[in-house]
Amino acid sequence: MDKTVHADNSSRKGWFLNSPWLRHESLLLLILVLEWLYFNSVGPRFGTLENTYDILRHSSEIGLLALALTPVILTGGIDLSVGSLLGLCAILFGKLWRDAHLPVWEAAAAALGFGAAGGAVNAWFITKLRLPPLIVTLGTLSLFRGLAEAVTHGVDTFTGFPGSFLALGQGQIFGLPAQLPLLFVGAVVIWLMVHSTVLGRSWRAIGFAAEGARYAGIPVGRRVALVYVLAGIISGLAAVIYTARLGQAKADAGTGYELFAITAVVLGGTSIFGGIGSVHGTLLGVAAIAVLSNGLVHARQPREVAGMLTGALLLIALAASVLAKNLANNRRR
Amino acid sequence: MNAHVREISVALALGLILLALAIFADSFYQPQPLLSLVTGQAPALIVTCGVALVMIARQIDISIGSQMAVCSVCTGLLAAANWPLGLVLIAAIGLGALLGAINGLFVAVLRLPSIVVTLATMVTWREALRWQRQGAFVNLPDGLQWFGMSQTHGQLTIVISALVVLFLLGLSTRHLAAGRFIYAVGSDVEAARLAGIRPQLVTFLVFVGMGALTGLAATLHIVQSPQVDPNSGTGLELKAIAAAVVGGVAISGGRGNLWAVFLGFLLLACVSPALIHLHIEAYWERAIAGAIILAAILADGLEKQTARFSHPRTPSVANG
Amino acid sequence: MSDPCRSAPLLQLAGVHKSFGAVRALKGVSFELFGGEVHALVGENGAGKSTLVKLVTGALRPDAGEIEIMGNRVAHLNPARAHKLGVTCIYQQPALFADLTVAENLWLRLEAPGALGRVDWSACRRRAGQWLERIGAAISPDSEIRHLSMPEQQLVEIACALGTGARIVIMDEPTASLTQKEQHLLFSVVRNLRQNGAGILYISHRLEEVFTVADRVTVLRDGQSVGTNRMEELTKAALIRSMVGREVSDTAPPCGGAARDLVLALRHLGCSASGVRDVNLEVRSGEVVGLAGLVGAGWTELARVLFGITPADSGELQLNGRAVSISSPRDAIDRRIAYLPEDRRRHGVILDMSLAQNITLAIHRRLFPRGWLRPRAERQLAGDSLRALNVKAGGPDALAASLSGGNQQKVALARWLATQPELLILDEPTQGVDIGTKREIHRRIRDLANQGVAVLLISSDLPEVLDVSDRICVMRNGTMVATLPPKTGAHTVMAYALGQKGAAV
Repeated sequence: MDKTVHADNSSRKGWFLNSPWLRHESLLLLILVLEWLYFNSVGPRFGTLENTYDILRHSSEIGLLALALTPVILTGGIDLSVGSLLGLCAILFGKLWRDAHLPVWEAAAAALGFGAAGGAVNAWFITKLRLPPLIVTLGTLSLFRGLAEAVTHGVDTFTGFPGSFLALGQGQIFGLPAQLPLLFVGAVVIWLMVHSTVLGRSWRAIGFAAEGARYAGIPVGRRVALVYVLAGIISGLAAVIYTARLGQAKADAGTGYELFAITAVVLGGTSIFGGIGSVHGTLLGVAAIAVLSNGLVHARQPREVAGMLTGALLLIALAASVLAKNLANNRRR
Repeated sequence: MNAHVREISVALALGLILLALAIFADSFYQPQPLLSLVTGQAPALIVTCGVALVMIARQIDISIGSQMAVCSVCTGLLAAANWPLGLVLIAAIGLGALLGAINGLFVAVLRLPSIVVTLATMVTWREALRWQRQGAFVNLPDGLQWFGMSQTHGQLTIVISALVVLFLLGLSTRHLAAGRFIYAVGSDVEAARLAGIRPQLVTFLVFVGMGALTGLAATLHIVQSPQVDPNSGTGLELKAIAAAVVGGVAISGGRGNLWAVFLGFLLLACVSPALIHLHIEAYWERAIAGAIILAAILADGLEKQTARFSHPRTPSVANG
Repeated sequence: MSDPCRSAPLLQLAGVHKSFGAVRALKGVSFELFGGEVHALVGENGAGKSTLVKLVTGALRPDAGEIEIMGNRVAHLNPARAHKLGVTCIYQQPALFADLTVAENLWLRLEAPGALGRVDWSACRRRAGQWLERIGAAISPDSEIRHLSMPEQQLVEIACALGTGARIVIMDEPTASLTQKEQHLLFSVVRNLRQNGAGILYISHRLEEVFTVADRVTVLRDGQSVGTNRMEELTKAALIRSMVGREVSDTAPPCGGAARDLVLALRHLGCSASGVRDVNLEVRSGEVVGLAGLVGAGWTELARVLFGITPADSGELQLNGRAVSISSPRDAIDRRIAYLPEDRRRHGVILDMSLAQNITLAIHRRLFPRGWLRPRAERQLAGDSLRALNVKAGGPDALAASLSGGNQQKVALARWLATQPELLILDEPTQGVDIGTKREIHRRIRDLANQGVAVLLISSDLPEVLDVSDRICVMRNGTMVATLPPKTGAHTVMAYALGQKGAAV
């Protein structure tokens, strides 16, 4: 028996409430602008170009990981192992360069390959064996970090990279931080994949209704495997940039990065359940967190306040979007 | 038979390691170091039991490491202010319960996903603590270590307390209706509601209980040394969840028992000392732990194929 | 059969009306159930049986009329109150805890324990064992529900019902997935219940069962009660006649012309995993073949075989004369087969996506050949589809959730029409849809056939099948039992579907 005909919700107000992701990003942009204005007024050196470059430099790895996680979370999955994979790739990169005497850029390319391999391991457990991503990547988080520790015997550090390589993390190109072009390219590529290609459309459909997507002929297994392999490759890239920035590769590289990356993604409006989300939202989320922590330093606040505020911000953002969704649902009824 | 496959395989793996140690490195079995080892692990065992219950209720809690740190430091401060031990214990449990209640509020009442909520609280508590302490240790009064008893007596007390908690929790999840409600809610929220259970309340209380257990574990932890390290508890959540997974608790809820979790805990706890005593480099520990976890969920995945029931389950509490 | 206790009816409905919007599900139905009797309720799909059941269990409230339970008028019934008053219903989908044991399920459902109560497992197991034994189910109380087969789970549900000591027991298609042996078990349970004074409301399509187990039968047709008789007074033929009522409607389907090319040919097709066996079927371009039969006869399973979700493992499938094997939905779509699934919630329109996104979901490869989305082309195609199907919406960018159920179904259809199929399989396309939209969809189906598409129409709505199809194939128990020419009487179709006519399967 049919229910009563639903009200047509395409009026402006209904439309507004019905697109929670759009509203979320606007809110985030507002927060970002407010942060900027506040810190600008409180810290004299905050608004300078030099400081902006600093922010970019320090947040490029987490930014890349957040970009990598956006498609993963869009499909309704999650990847806790990206930080550990970063560490493993950094170590293997260092080892190839120092002990196998590979030219540094070839070793860097190999690092991306290792990242892809790590992502493929996750992909295999999740798509072929149909195991829950949360626990699989919890396991690979330990495994990858453990392998990194094993390879370095727990103590080894790789240093002494050539200057041309270190310039990637510490130098400049046309006056901009050298990793910025890479970050920019990465962001553009991921943005295009998510928003302008069939892949992104498939990912969303899978996140909303994986079975339904299958019935529509979408190759669910392949699409999901791709996001994890992609996340792996980007972890490898982040590993290279991290090593260039710090000038050294240690087994504990990237510890805890996955948590900030996930925070940025969820803050940016991507739903942890999948389907809803955007790359610009993620970038805004990364920016909000990075500006917050940098700005608090300039405002002579302890660093820890940034962490606390980030946590609180995450909860508030989540609660707000759930409440907005409930409001929209109630209107619909 | 089917139901005990996990316990048996974990027990076998554990037995193998212990056997290898007995043959190749019986220095492991010297009473004093072994007791110290076990004592050091006792607080983690309590926390593991708690997180196992959270997972059975189809939730997750990754903030327990930070909760542990906060409770340790706060109770340390109270002890340093010469509060009597009994009050310190109560305060610890109360504080832990409060932290757990905050998680429970967001998950059970506001219906937010537990992975993100506990991620947020984890970061918030840890940073707040770091801000307050700036890395400074808390110096404990002399009489506090080992409860004021001799080291051996203190250690035995701690170990026995942990085992008592395990025992009580194991019994109540088996024989107390409230314990079975956790399984019901984790298995199917709608069916639980129809059976007259209140899923929101159960979920909320599970998080509160988790926090209380963390507070208790924190107290057992601080009496083991003269100082409290504000960085204690880092990585605790991963260890606890890993032990639960190895012990057969499924992330999808409704399954698992604490005795198997205990075995899983022992297995993972053995890896590091076994490596040391067998003169294998210790840095293999994390890789081996990761491999054990993956093997455990592999077994879970294979077992799932044999279940003939493909019941479309109603989503967990957080999904509304 | 002993005379049912005639003191006072356990359950009485008087002049009950229930409407859903414009649809009138029950029009003044009166009904009585006495203790110690098995009262069957029969009728075609859509006759109002499930609505009546929901009124008795308290899931719905009547718009008019009275309900009396145990002689007391009940004004505001809800499921909890109904349960307390002694009403219990056994559904086809058991509400059991998959991860827990049988004993524990029974304990949770039957004993409603307080939180601090102690669980006495041995007593629990013993009681569960007793209940299971009483219904003769050979199930161990320690088995986990997820390891039991569907029929076994249903038996557990029945044991639950037994345990509640309910006086009014409603059984909705209880034997749908039981084997012969299990059915006999069920009947003895039913007799047991009856002997203990319970009143059983037994809903079933299987007329042999009704004749075996029921004392009286009430026929519902189009929301009204056509009559209540004792089983001795009726023959099967008479029963079918009163269920079906009028003859085939006068709206003769405009036939699409002479027989054209053979699009689909199935020879002895079978899929052991899903119970489809030895299906022979031919569908030509331009014709609408209606698949009739009872719910559970095997249509959806057949559709899933044709669409590659559960591929066939025996027999032959020919498309346009060539034998093919279809191994995935992608495969099927590439071969110009489209399937509009029955389970709308899981496989239908994605509510959080826009109409355009939904409509183009199956044609990515064709519409976006290089992988890049083309919003303008997409919007245009979606706009054209929406207009063609007369969907009332705020444009292609509106969210699917903002549409009514009927319009959502049209959008789902649009998705599959966009794949330009040669063979279109529609599974319950108009279930739950208002009458106006229903007619529109029927018109569209006929238009498609006239354009040369081969259509396989699966529907439990017999008038719909009769109206729209050129030919009717009747399924029963996973195999095809009859192919009937156009304008076959509903009576005949039902006879085949119920197994009165045709070889026993």
